[in-house]
Amino acid sequence: MSAQLKRIEQQFAIEQFYYREARMLDNRQYQQWFALVTESISYVMPSRVNKLVDNRLRGKEEMISIDKELERSDDMGSPIREEGYAHLFVRVDRAYKANSWAENPPARTRRIVGNVEILSVEENTYRVTSNFHLFFARPGSDNFIYSGQRNDRLIVDGDSFKIDAREVIMDYANIDVPTLGLLF
Amino acid sequence: MIKISDLVSDDAAYISRRAWSDPAVYQLEKHGVFGKAWLFLGHETQIKHPGDFVQAYMCETPIILARGEDNKIYANINSCSHRGLPVCRADHGNTKRFVCPYHNWSYKVDGSLVAIPQEKMVSQKPDKNTLGLKPVPRVESWQGMIFGSFDESIEPLDSYLGDMRFYLDAFFDRFENGIEFAGAPHRWTINANWKLPMENQLGDVNHGPFLHSAVIPAEANQEIFDVGLSAVPHPGHGATFRLMPEGTPNENMAWGMEGMGAILGGSEVKEYLFEIQAKAKERVGDIRARMKGLTYGVYPNLSFLWSNTSFKVSHPRGPGKVEYWSWSAIPADAPDSVKKILRTNYSSFFGPGGILEQEDSEAWMQQFIGSNIDFADDKPYYYGLGMGDEKPHPELPGMVSSTANEYYARAFFKRWREALESVSDQDANRIALAEVR
Ligand code: FES
Ligand SMILES: [Fe+2]
Repeated sequence: MSAQLKRIEQQFAIEQFYYREARMLDNRQYQQWFALVTESISYVMPSRVNKLVDNRLRGKEEMISIDKELERSDDMGSPIREEGYAHLFVRVDRAYKANSWAENPPARTRRIVGNVEILSVEENTYRVTSNFHLFFARPGSDNFIYSGQRNDRLIVDGDSFKIDAREVIMDYANIDVPTLGLLF
Repeated sequence: MIKISDLVSDDAAYISRRAWSDPAVYQLEKHGVFGKAWLFLGHETQIKHPGDFVQAYMCETPIILARGEDNKIYANINSCSHRGLPVCRADHGNTKRFVCPYHNWSYKVDGSLVAIPQEKMVSQKPDKNTLGLKPVPRVESWQGMIFGSFDESIEPLDSYLGDMRFYLDAFFDRFENGIEFAGAPHRWTINANWKLPMENQLGDVNHGPFLHSAVIPAEANQEIFDVGLSAVPHPGHGATFRLMPEGTPNENMAWGMEGMGAILGGSEVKEYLFEIQAKAKERVGDIRARMKGLTYGVYPNLSFLWSNTSFKVSHPRGPGKVEYWSWSAIPADAPDSVKKILRTNYSSFFGPGGILEQEDSEAWMQQFIGSNIDFADDKPYYYGLGMGDEKPHPELPGMVSSTANEYYARAFFKRWREALESVSDQDANRIALAEVR
């Protein structure tokens, strides 16, 4: 019973953390958000490609596995983003400069985070996967929907968490959104 | 009815809004520009082995670029001879056959038709020799860069590139074993006209201190102001770079050092880049060893961002849409650990998630909006900045001037206007017909 209770508490804490994070990002409180990441953060967005079907794998789930479509950080392809603390700092910093012309006026966003699943807990490290939809309305342009999955490594930080690694898997066939350079 | 001569003034100091937005102009571009130019298809390192293939585009026409069983390079239009479906759906890979999904006609990677499954059920046997994929009539490569042309009588690629090779070699020849493209291209659509991304890379470094002022440090812009040059070796091509003074320390001169990968990447990557720079003088000569490249453009729609080492192609999808492709280029013989760091010199700032690219693409989209408005055709865009400042240079081919001179764009648009004027009446009739349909 108490193990079960602990799991419910953990799930609750993680979900609350994600909701808080999403609220900060939608409210454009990127500086506060930036305090939620570790200095060693790895922030990666694999690219997604269309692969040939491998005949030898027919009949197996692996034949059409999503892993096969991704160019990730640890292989020799070309991920869309491979960032660390410095990159995220530049993105956050730019948001509050009067001369960041391309973001003026800034886009309006709304994130919905769901399907939060704790994959493992080891001491103070959580591996969590979650899905998101992000509505993005850009003045002078159009409205867009982003959809994706985040695979996180979170570290316990007092009664909250810090993001130590995030892999963002975007659901696109053709990239027809204005930028994949947002904070997902 | 638009007259082509109204699109670009004789001195190219004025460019009409319609040059960017008119559907009839776009149809003329297909024939006059894309039908008669060398178009970039891919890099030889992407198709090293027999059976390797990648997808490409020539304007809106899908192409399969492949290495055949005979080890030769083939480029064919990706459309089945039976009902026209694309026979290749993967971005890249290695295969013996492309099997069309609809009725399973199958083709070798060189485009020849090898099987019609329905054949045994009919008495008249189709002549498979005449039913292969349509080949691109001309395919040539230079420094591993493969180009195709729909124009059978186009000049050889070497002379088409002309003195642009001097500037491209300043990069390519630094590497003993050449460069390679990392992974599949990033491809994304932007609601802009294809020419603006191209113009941007041909020579428009002068938007850097303004559009990108929140990201690019002032010292970097000062350096461009002090030692930046814009060279036009031939109208339609262009190269911008900084010509660093002799004695500039490696930290500030070596290729790759100014990228985020190198800045954050530790000593291994630095040592590697210094090693390349140490050999540069011997490999490319003194003046080119001191070149620190910015942006390059090759007519009509290939560009190379030397500072962040990315090749890009601006594929039109109508007057108001481009499918932009970009690749990270890395030295072929660098250790994997170094390659992984160097590829982030590109992705940190460019590509669909790049912080600078997102500013550029926003500007490009907004430019299309301005180009597609009414009641302003008597207000063409001003392209006259620096008119006449371009001069021959004692050591560099072409016309050379400061990066604020918009000569690169005037030269491009003069060539573009001639290309549109060259569209034959026969082609023009076809275009009119297509519009009626
Ligand atoms: S359309 Fe390709 S086989 Fe029929
Ligand atoms: Fe730019």
